[in-house]
Amino acid sequence: MSAMTTTTSTSTEAPLSFRRPSGGRTIKNALATVYVFLATVLTIVPLAWVLYTVITKGIRLILTQQWWLQSQRGITPRREGGGAYHAIVGTVEMALICAAIAVPLGILGAIFLIEYAKGTKVARGVSFMVDILSGIPSIVAALFIYALFITIFGFGRSAIAVSFALVLLMLPVVLRSTEEMLKLVPNELREASYALGVPKWKTILRVVIPTAFSGIMTGIMLGLARVMGETAPLLILVSYAVGINFSPTSDTMGALPTMINSGRDQAPQLPGYERVWAAALTLILISMFLNLLARAIARASKLKEK
Amino acid sequence: MTTQTFAARPTNRLVSSRAAKLAALAAMATLSLAACGSDPTSTGEPVGGAEPGSSANASGLACPEGKLSAEGSSAQANAITEAIVAYNAECGDKATIEYNPTGSGAGIKSFYNGLVDFAGSDSVLKTESSDGVVEADKASERCQNNPAWNLPMVVGPIAFAYNIDGADKLVLNAEVLAEIFKGEIKTWNDPKIAKLNSGVDLPAENITVFFRSDESGTTENTAKFLSKAGNGAWTDEPSKAWTGTGEGKNKSSGVAEATANTKNSISYMEWSYAKDNKLSTAQLDSGKGPVELTGESVGKAVAEAKVKGSGNDLSLDLKYAGTGSGAYPALLVTYEIVCSKGLPADKTAIVKDFLTYFSSPDSQSQLEELGYAPLPTELQSKVQTAVAAIQ
Repeated sequence: MSAMTTTTSTSTEAPLSFRRPSGGRTIKNALATVYVFLATVLTIVPLAWVLYTVITKGIRLILTQQWWLQSQRGITPRREGGGAYHAIVGTVEMALICAAIAVPLGILGAIFLIEYAKGTKVARGVSFMVDILSGIPSIVAALFIYALFITIFGFGRSAIAVSFALVLLMLPVVLRSTEEMLKLVPNELREASYALGVPKWKTILRVVIPTAFSGIMTGIMLGLARVMGETAPLLILVSYAVGINFSPTSDTMGALPTMINSGRDQAPQLPGYERVWAAALTLILISMFLNLLARAIARASKLKEK
Repeated sequence: MTTQTFAARPTNRLVSSRAAKLAALAAMATLSLAACGSDPTSTGEPVGGAEPGSSANASGLACPEGKLSAEGSSAQANAITEAIVAYNAECGDKATIEYNPTGSGAGIKSFYNGLVDFAGSDSVLKTESSDGVVEADKASERCQNNPAWNLPMVVGPIAFAYNIDGADKLVLNAEVLAEIFKGEIKTWNDPKIAKLNSGVDLPAENITVFFRSDESGTTENTAKFLSKAGNGAWTDEPSKAWTGTGEGKNKSSGVAEATANTKNSISYMEWSYAKDNKLSTAQLDSGKGPVELTGESVGKAVAEAKVKGSGNDLSLDLKYAGTGSGAYPALLVTYEIVCSKGLPADKTAIVKDFLTYFSSPDSQSQLEELGYAPLPTELQSKVQTAVAAIQ
């Protein structure tokens, strides 16, 4: 577009006769367009394909009430029935315990880094460590907790150990996104607050945090969605249970990723095979729900401006 | 992204209250879901057909309450999960037993590290050191210095499943199988195969062999069978990794699916997977005529095994070659590895009660439908004696 306008602007008075750009440029343009288009298609195709497969294979069970209200206890791969309730409970519970630890730590850490220690060596050091932490594969986090809790301290496996491993994965996400949000809060707001004689802690609590609130929530939701799909900590730190279990200290607990994993090795003719797809779809739905919730929260805080 | 849009916005209570409302809504949705879930009521009829809940203690079960966690061999996973369901149906869901098919090696490790209450394994605890660990010693350490016992519980026949159009019957023997799996016999109309299958018209097509690409007890036991019964045609040391020819597929389900989808292919797998995928299985001719794979023919082969453990430790020495007529010798036995003594009393009670049920004729007779073979009667009673001696 801009290329065209520059070429035409040279011959202003003539009855607009567009000179075609040189052959080389036309070809480059066409090639680039094709590449960009192909890249888009290549990104969308696998995504759409995955969604299509999971939805078509899993939708039937998802739509039954039983799926959301019953566990897999007493149901074997050869039997119809049962649901994913135990796994949903497990996944949600472990994620919530994880969030209960990671969110305060992450937010307070970010506040320290931005509001109190900005530009200092400590802040740079901590930021650097957080960057490293966010690059840790989940299996490493799981093995670290295994070594610490089970090998050294001698506790058994438990759902709460999984939550601790998940904290290691969620913390950097929350801390990073909160940090970015706090950076975006304009200094004028803080200064205005100080000018009115508001102490620093109250400024942070009443001005800075509310301003960045929606962004922080988005970060938390995305962190949660990420953590819920992690499989490695579940495989190492807890064993899969088919029955309902609410106790976080128990050594067996159901979870959606391990429900998928435990049913993966089945013949496609068995009823259990369909439940694997349905569990996958459930997990996708929960992640999607969290993403939508994050957006809704962001939007809700936007509306009030009017 | 959205970040710029809400960055420079001084806020008031309205923001957070809206967001809080949303969050509250989400929380309520979660809680209401949490409020009304349940385990399916145990009307689950055991696949074998025994009546559920029929007078709870008909089989003399104590039905203690509590929780048990076990893991190990995936070869017995289908059998033990069905047995757990059937046991719970008998007992009215008093105990919670979880079995995770993580593999024999992982199961044994979890057992001696005290993470699970018993392990399932397709080989017995090793008494010699490997990687500086003597499994049997570690296990007895876990059992408060009492020996751990290997109790044979599930017999898993190894099926040689094939996919050839128009051949509903195929007879093979260990030697020919070894040559097929070594890649020495390349086509289905090879004279060596034809000799065993007179009257059957086999195609002049190449044989496609599939094997387990993951480490597997099925592979090890297949190789053991081939090396012991193959008249020297299989010379490799049996191991969990496949040493023959072919194309690797992941897990039993992988080889079964590949065989089902590929014409002129053959593979080895646990019988239950061949059954689930509706594959034809080859008959074995060990010198006394072709033998079909059935619970009975496998049972005959197991009955010829010698118990090599002492006392109540019932590790078996399987006989692969020279079995009697009507015996199908390609099989693996999975064991439950338990503490003879030393588990907490409440756990011991459930272990004993569940294994009593699992080794009972009632439960064993249901195994064949799942693609396993019941333990021979004599061995069943030995296992029952051993289970009763657990303290």
